Amino acid sequence: MQDLNRKALRLGIPLSVHLDVTYRCNERCEHCYLDHDDHGEMTTGEIRGLLDQLAEAGVFFLTLSGGEPLVRRDCFEIIRYARSLGFNVKFKTNAVMIREREARRLRALGVEQVQISVYSHRPEVHDEITKLPGSLKRTVAGIRLLKAAGLKVTLANVLMRANFEDGEGVRLLAAELGAHYTVDPTVTPMMDGNTSVLRHRIPAGSLRTVFHDPNLVEDVESFCAPPAPVDDDIREGLPCSAGHTACYISPYGDLYPCVQFPFRCGSVRRERFLDLWQNSPQLAEVRSIRGKDLTTCSSCSHLGTCTRCPGLAYMEGDMRGPSSADCEKSFVRTGIVTAGMIARETTAIPMAGLVQIKPLIQASP
Amino acid sequence: MSEKYIARSPAVASRVLDGEIVIMSAIDSTLFSLSEVATIIWQAADGQTPLSEIVHKRICAEFDVSPEEAYRDAEAFVEDLAQHGILRVSSKPLEIDIPVVLEDSWA
Amino acid sequence: MSAESLALISATSPVSTAAGVTVEIGGIPILLRSDDAEFRWMVEQRYASFVNTCFEPRYQFEIDLRPPAEPSDEDAHVTRDGRLWRFERGDFRAEWDPQLCRGWVRQTPNPYSIDTILRIVHSLVLAEEGGFLVHAASAVRSGSAYIFTGVSGAGKTTISRLAPENVAVLTDEISYVRRGRNGYRAYGTPFAGELARVGENLSAPLGALYFLEKGPANRLEPIDDATAARLLLRNILFFAHDDELVKLVFDAAFEFVSNVPVFRFVFTPDSRAWDMVG
Repeated sequence: MQDLNRKALRLGIPLSVHLDVTYRCNERCEHCYLDHDDHGEMTTGEIRGLLDQLAEAGVFFLTLSGGEPLVRRDCFEIIRYARSLGFNVKFKTNAVMIREREARRLRALGVEQVQISVYSHRPEVHDEITKLPGSLKRTVAGIRLLKAAGLKVTLANVLMRANFEDGEGVRLLAAELGAHYTVDPTVTPMMDGNTSVLRHRIPAGSLRTVFHDPNLVEDVESFCAPPAPVDDDIREGLPCSAGHTACYISPYGDLYPCVQFPFRCGSVRRERFLDLWQNSPQLAEVRSIRGKDLTTCSSCSHLGTCTRCPGLAYMEGDMRGPSSADCEKSFVRTGIVTAGMIARETTAIPMAGLVQIKPLIQASP
Repeated sequence: MSEKYIARSPAVASRVLDGEIVIMSAIDSTLFSLSEVATIIWQAADGQTPLSEIVHKRICAEFDVSPEEAYRDAEAFVEDLAQHGILRVSSKPLEIDIPVVLEDSWA
Repeated sequence: MSAESLALISATSPVSTAAGVTVEIGGIPILLRSDDAEFRWMVEQRYASFVNTCFEPRYQFEIDLRPPAEPSDEDAHVTRDGRLWRFERGDFRAEWDPQLCRGWVRQTPNPYSIDTILRIVHSLVLAEEGGFLVHAASAVRSGSAYIFTGVSGAGKTTISRLAPENVAVLTDEISYVRRGRNGYRAYGTPFAGELARVGENLSAPLGALYFLEKGPANRLEPIDDATAARLLLRNILFFAHDDELVKLVFDAAFEFVSNVPVFRFVFTPDSRAWDMVG
C-alpha cells in the first residue's frame, strides 16, 4: 500500500476521493458540521458522469458518504455504477435503514468496507447524540445484518464530552459484533465556519485520560512518548495527503482538498475533474506547503508527529498556521509544550482603548 | 489433466496506474499489484478460455519459458488469487458478472 | 488563594535554601531556585550568557518540578489577585508577589514553561517602568540599537540574517525595550525565534524603530505618532486582560514613539537593506 501511495504521489494521481452524495440525513447529531438542507444535490446523471471522470483520472479508492447516503433513492444505483467502474468502495452509513435486502445487495456489489458511527454502547447516550430515539438499536441491527451478509464493518467512535467514557464500551460492542473499531476525539467546526459545535469537544483533562487508556490506545508508552527530533526530511515533508493523493467532493459538486478543509478549489459541475485536479490554483497552493513553510509549526518539536490538520488550521484563519485542536492533542498526549501554545501565550491588546488615549497625547507639548 | 477455466471475480476493485494493474479484493481487502505475466493472465481471464490455452498462446509466445514451468507458475498464481476471492476457478466455463475497466490514462 | 501558596509567600516564611541559577535579562536578575541539579544545568545551558552574571537577584522563584496538581488548558492565563499575579497553563502554575519579590512555580522539567514565565514577569516589570517586550528583531550597530518589527513573515528573521559582520544581532524574535533616566535602551534576550540562536547579552541606547515590509527597493518613510503607536501595540507582547496593565502598556507605546525615531522600512531581502540602517 505504501508503494501505491508513493507511486500516486510521484505521478500526481488522485488515488482517493471522498464523495458525499447528500447532506440530508435521518439523524441530527449534535456535533455534526453539516447543513442538512438540500441546496441542489447532483443528480444521478451528474454523479455517473463524475464517476466516469474519476475512474479515467485514476481514482481507485472511493468513499461514498453524506449525510446519510441511503436517504438518496438512487444510492444503490450510484454504488452499482461505481463498482462497475472498478472502484474500491468504502460506504459510510448509520445503518439505521439497512435491512436484509440492503445488506445482501451491498455484499453482492462487492463493497469493500462499511463504516458506521457508533457513539456509545448505551442507547440513552447514543440516541441523545443522534437525536433519533431508538437509533442505536436500529444501527446495531443493521450492523448484525451486514456482518451476516459477510461484509467488513468498522465502527467509528467519535469521542466527545457526552460520550468519552464509553469508548471501552463501544470497543467491546465492536468486538462482539465482529467489527473493527476506530476511535477519534476530533470534532470539526461547521463548513460555513460556525464554531459552536466545538463545545462538544472533550475537555483537556478528560482527553488526557483517554490518551492514557490502554483499552483505547494500543501502546500508551509509545503513543505518549516525547517526539523524536525534527530532521530535514520532516521539514521537507507534506502536511498530509489532502490535495496530493486525495480530495473531497460535496453533493453540490464543489471540490475541496478534504472534507475537513473547506477551501473551495473549483466545481466539477463547471469544469472537468482532471482539469481541476491538475490546474486549480487553490489546489496548487495547498500542494506547495511543506513542513518548513508552516508559520508557527515549523519551529515546533512536534512537527514530525503532530496530527495537525491543515483544514482545521485553515478554519482557524491560516492554512499554514497552527491547529489549536491538534496543539492540544500533542500537548495532552506528551506533556511537551507546542510552538502554537507559545505563540498563544500572548494575547491581543484591546485596541478600542486607543480612541480614548489619543486626545491625551495630542494635548501634550 | 483437466482443464481450468478462470474468470475475474466481481468482488474486486481494479485500476491501471502507470501501466500496472492494481487490484483490491473486497473479500479480504488484500491489495495486489500485477506483474507483466500476471497482467496477461488477469486480462485473459474471461471465463471461457482454458488456462492452458492462455499460457500457451499468450505467455509462452511472449516469454522465453518452458510450457511446463509457465503452466506451473500460472496455476500457483491463479490459486493465490482464488484464495483471496479475486479469480474464480472452475473446471467448466464461467460467466463474468461485472466488466472491469482497463483503460489507462496515465500511461 | 490556595493553601499551598499561602505557606510559601508570606513575609515570615523561611527563604528556601535550595541552590539556584540567576538569569539576568534587561539588567533585571531573577534567581531560579531548584534542588534538581539536572534542571539547573538545563537552565544554565539554555540561557548561556545570561546566566549567573550577578548575585544580587531582584526576584526569586522557587521551582517545584512536579506537574501542576490541577493542570489547566493549553492557553496561558495571567491574572491579578490583589497584589499577587497568577500564571498558569497546562504545563505550569505559578504565583508572583512583586512586593515581596518572590514567587513559586510548579512545572514539569522542561525549558518552555520557565521561558514563558520569565517573559511574563519581565513584561509586567517593564510595563511599570514604561518599557515592553515586542515581537521584533534588534541589533546593535556603532553603539546604537535598532529594532525591526512587523507581523510574522514581515522579515524580522530575514533582516537579522542579512546583518553585516560588524553588527551584533540581539535577537530575531523578541526584543526588550527598557526606559531609563537617559532614554530607551534595547537589550538582548535568550528567547530564540527561527534563527534558534540564543541572543547576545548586550544592550545599547535606541537609535530607531523600523516597521518592516519586504519590497522591490529600499525605502524609509516617516510615520505619524498615532499610527506608529497603533502598529507598535500590535506587536507588543501582552499577557493579561487587566485594565491597569492595558493603560500602562498604551502609555508606554505612546511615550516611546514620541521619543524615538520611527520609520516604515520597505526593504529588499538582500545586503543593500542594511545600508539604510543607522
